Amino acid sequence: MSIIIHKQGLLATVQGKQRYGYRDAGIGPGGAMDLFAMHAANYLVGNEEDAAVLEMNFPAPEIVFRKDALISLAGADMDACVDEIPLPVWKPVLIKKDSVLKFRKPVHGSKLYLAVREGWIAEKWLGSSSTHLKAAAGGYAGRSLEKGDVIEFGEPSFFLTENKILPWGFTSQELQEVYPVNKAMRCICGAEWSLLASSSKTIFSEQSFALNNQNDRMGYRLNGPRLFTEKPVEMISSAVDAGTVQLLPDGNLIVLMADHQTTGGYPRIASVIKADIPPLAQLNAGDEFRFTIIDAAEAEDALISRQQKLQEIKAAFRQQYQKYFQH
Amino acid sequence: MLVSYGNTIQEAINDRVISLHQSFRTEPFIGLVETVPSYSSLTVFYDPLLVRNGHPGVRSAADLVKAIVRQRADTMNETPALFKKKTVIIPVYYHGEDLDFVASQNNLSKEEVITLHHSRTYRVFMIGFLPGFPYMGPVDEGIATARRSSPRTKVKAGSIGIAGFQTGIYPLDSPGGWQLIGETPLKIFDKMKEPVCLLAASDEVRFVPITREEFERQDEYHHS
Repeated sequence: MSIIIHKQGLLATVQGKQRYGYRDAGIGPGGAMDLFAMHAANYLVGNEEDAAVLEMNFPAPEIVFRKDALISLAGADMDACVDEIPLPVWKPVLIKKDSVLKFRKPVHGSKLYLAVREGWIAEKWLGSSSTHLKAAAGGYAGRSLEKGDVIEFGEPSFFLTENKILPWGFTSQELQEVYPVNKAMRCICGAEWSLLASSSKTIFSEQSFALNNQNDRMGYRLNGPRLFTEKPVEMISSAVDAGTVQLLPDGNLIVLMADHQTTGGYPRIASVIKADIPPLAQLNAGDEFRFTIIDAAEAEDALISRQQKLQEIKAAFRQQYQKYFQH
Repeated sequence: MLVSYGNTIQEAINDRVISLHQSFRTEPFIGLVETVPSYSSLTVFYDPLLVRNGHPGVRSAADLVKAIVRQRADTMNETPALFKKKTVIIPVYYHGEDLDFVASQNNLSKEEVITLHHSRTYRVFMIGFLPGFPYMGPVDEGIATARRSSPRTKVKAGSIGIAGFQTGIYPLDSPGGWQLIGETPLKIFDKMKEPVCLLAASDEVRFVPITREEFERQDEYHHS
């Protein structure tokens, strides 16, 4: 009544809804790095958006299904296959008991989400099943998945005779809107933007930056031109958020990601808007991109239109799901 | 949304921040997610869609939240900050790896550093960096010491350090750059407890020196 991790991957974790209400205790919301892909994976199998999913990096774990399951993959393409047959990303798939799910090579993107109908059964901590690695709490024993781990999921209401790709999913046009090629990450000015030297302000929005190889769930360090403040800045700590772009003392930038600290003492020069964190999260070391500054109203509109779009997709997939499983 | 009272470390300012924080806890507006107090600012996190849906006719959630927060802050500023402050006693075995350094930097003996550290009551200004990490202060000028130039890759949970005029306690094993002067046997963060953190912003903390034997007897971590 479960899956078993047959071969360990690189930092595969269980992620559920975000853990709100504890930032004043130093505990951030955490959750999936790419919330769009996580929600998408859940919608594809008819779940609520916050059902627990597995977040995987390459190399991803090898997974054996010990019962029939309706699953979906969303986010990065890691050349998934089940019993040597290629599996698509962004589509629901029926997987037969005893199937082996493998990921052969990284094609594009870096974070892949595996959802199952009814969601993975995970440990809740402070109201959320997202894995908090530092506190070693929530998700699966508060840690990343290891060989031999068994993860349970709800009883399916169907019986399978073969693996099958179902006839609904995201269109390439829908995905293009979220993950455009040569994307400029939209951001709004941060609390300390005005402290930047004017030449640094220009560089920030005109030159390219690349993802450093030191990046993790807490933050993405960037390579690129160094930026400086007009005068030396001595700051006291205050709150930061996912997407906050901080200027480090050496002039390099770091963008805070899902497992960021709740507070920080470096100048917050910008914030990547929520709608553009998904394409940012999917970058790999060396990938280049630019920043573009927009105003707060545009950022709000972008987020709201994204949320509305997702609600439409959710409703459409629900219908497909009900139609398919009625007979 | 950031409500800033300047870049300063003062109890009166921090009182303002915390009363505003507590006011939003007891009386949230529709769409509020949570607020995070720091030394001299309060950050307000909200969901723009919920704000707009909860306030029909509103075009910009940011503008509306700004107005709500400003009005609340103005009201709060007219009344003295009133909230309960709990006092927490933290036992400390003063034997930290940087005790010698802090002493020599400040031309003091180790004993003088220890005495200066536990001879005043500190305020918890904010929690941040790690789950339950209290930023406390101010320490006596005589023992204020800058962070280590190169942070340690692992600081043991329970370690007590100094960074400038601040003093803090590591709730978890973690990398860290504070000057370590002692260690408490108390768990200030316990994921199994409710609440998970012993301290909150606005609490008062008194350190009480203990011996090695007392430390070992009270050790809640059972470090191996």
